[in-house]
Amino acid sequence: MTSPILEARALSRHYPGGVRALEGVDLRIERGEFVSIIGRSGSGKSTLLNIVGGLDSPTGGSVAVNGTPLDFSDRRALISFRREMVGFVFQQFNLIPSLTARENVEYPLLFNYRPPAERQEKANALLAMVGLDGRASHYPGQLSGGEQQRVAIARALVADSPLVLADEPTGNLDSATSEGIFSLLQRLNRERRVTLLVVTHERELASYADRTVEMRDGRVVA
Amino acid sequence: MNSRLAEFFQLAVRQLFRRKFRVILTVAGIAIGVAALVGTVALGEGIRTQAVDAIRTQSDLTLIEALPGVEGNVLQLVTPTRAAAAANLPGVAASAPVVRGTFATRGQTYVQVIGVPADGLEGVLHPAYLRGSGFSPGSNEVVFGAALGEKLQRYEGVRIGDPLVIIRRSYDAQGRPVDEETTVVPVGVMEERGDAYDQLLLMDLDLAVRLGEGDGGYSGILIRAEGPDRVFSVAEGVRGIGLSPRGSFEQIEAVNRMMDMVVIFLGIFAGLSLLVGGLMIASTMITSVYERTREIGIAMAVGASEGDVMEMILAECAVLGVIGGVGGDLLGVLFAAVLNVLGGPFLASRFGDAFAGLLDSEIALVTWPLLAAGLLLAVVLSLLAGLYPAWKASRLNPVEAIRSGR
Repeated sequence: MTSPILEARALSRHYPGGVRALEGVDLRIERGEFVSIIGRSGSGKSTLLNIVGGLDSPTGGSVAVNGTPLDFSDRRALISFRREMVGFVFQQFNLIPSLTARENVEYPLLFNYRPPAERQEKANALLAMVGLDGRASHYPGQLSGGEQQRVAIARALVADSPLVLADEPTGNLDSATSEGIFSLLQRLNRERRVTLLVVTHERELASYADRTVEMRDGRVVA
Repeated sequence: MNSRLAEFFQLAVRQLFRRKFRVILTVAGIAIGVAALVGTVALGEGIRTQAVDAIRTQSDLTLIEALPGVEGNVLQLVTPTRAAAAANLPGVAASAPVVRGTFATRGQTYVQVIGVPADGLEGVLHPAYLRGSGFSPGSNEVVFGAALGEKLQRYEGVRIGDPLVIIRRSYDAQGRPVDEETTVVPVGVMEERGDAYDQLLLMDLDLAVRLGEGDGGYSGILIRAEGPDRVFSVAEGVRGIGLSPRGSFEQIEAVNRMMDMVVIFLGIFAGLSLLVGGLMIASTMITSVYERTREIGIAMAVGASEGDVMEMILAECAVLGVIGGVGGDLLGVLFAAVLNVLGGPFLASRFGDAFAGLLDSEIALVTWPLLAAGLLLAVVLSLLAGLYPAWKASRLNPVEAIRSGR
């Protein structure tokens, strides 16, 4: 049996002052799965996502990627983990306002030392896939929220990261646009075999996923 | 430069373009500092060049006199060996040993006398005669400097061809003065040279020695350097054989020493304004990093390393530095041009004819190395100013940075 792409064991994150964002979370995600995490705000969903994405460090427990434990004290290892393994999608879209849609998609590859021609080709292909081929040279300010989030999704895929983490990707979008984003995510999961871990607080959207994990007060309850 | 760094520079330019007004203000800070520095140094160098040129054209630069030197508290006399060594120094066209002394006329005019071989007079001093000619070897003929000739003629009626009695005073064993009189024949008056030779009476070396000057040694060696560019090396050579070189080249050395001080002091003040420019860059970049906290967090989330973040911030600083440096150079050139157009006539009108030469010459001298130094300084200063903001940016916690909402 192959190792899961992501396995968190007894993960906890305590903040100074007694806040316990995570308390003994176990989570196992198989390659190619589409998993949604639901829970109220403050339930620890985002903290969990940040830790398994190598942006934040746990105060207890471990994370293994493809069976290899992630060393949170090794900054270099975390950087290359973020570069090669993970793509992030944020609630606020978080595009760079001074870069065009295509340049935003290319952005991660700038730090992966890929040549410009290859980057552009890849970015154009991904923009076409998320349905924005006509918008490549628009700036984020000229795009609607849904379009910006599609750009962000293309950016999360550009480095061929096997794991895409999305934190409330539709939190700032109306329900029709949200449906569109989730069906795009579902399509990416089916067609490209991208493993998806998506945080949301809307149950109907969570139903796009293969499996739903529910969190409450820093623990996985279902 | 690798291509990634080149792209960081492209990104930097675009980032800066987003904040045009602030960038212009910051760059102006650096540019004014660079301009002040370029302007003051150009002014200093221009004045130095003017002064040196004036000394070159108005004095007998290639004439050096080697006098007894002091080495380790021991007086180094001008011996025949040293005279021969001086004659063989590289860059020496001609040389002649001399003795110096003091005489008086019957009319109580005190006369400084220099005894020089007749061929040395012509070969080293290259005298031009207002009246008459040089003295012949072994004779009791003498030549006057222009001022001395004029003075003796006016007050004592001394004319060329008339015998002149000169008195050398010495003291006997009891300390009583003993005056010895000698008759010499003035045969020439030199043209005005603008230096100490105008006051001198020149006679044949043998005559001077016979009259008791020199005490068996030489007072000095007159040296003619091959050209203005050899003067300083000849002077060094003279120092090398233990003697002390004198001449108008010392004025150039003095001007250079003085202008070095002036340029350094003015440069320090101008440098202070450049420092202010550097602080402005630091401030702008700290603000910029603060404003872009989220962007930096995003970059980190998509795989930028701490080094990448630092390079991106420093690339922006380098661009600011280049724009500021180039702008400052241009301003400095403008400043120098204004000085040259307005400054020369102003000085000439204030200080009169002596400065008339300034009318059509450059009192501020801008050179390529100066401009290159200005640019380099601006870039280095900008990078230094950016180190702290860049380091701060690279240390941001990505989660907090993304969440910061800025």
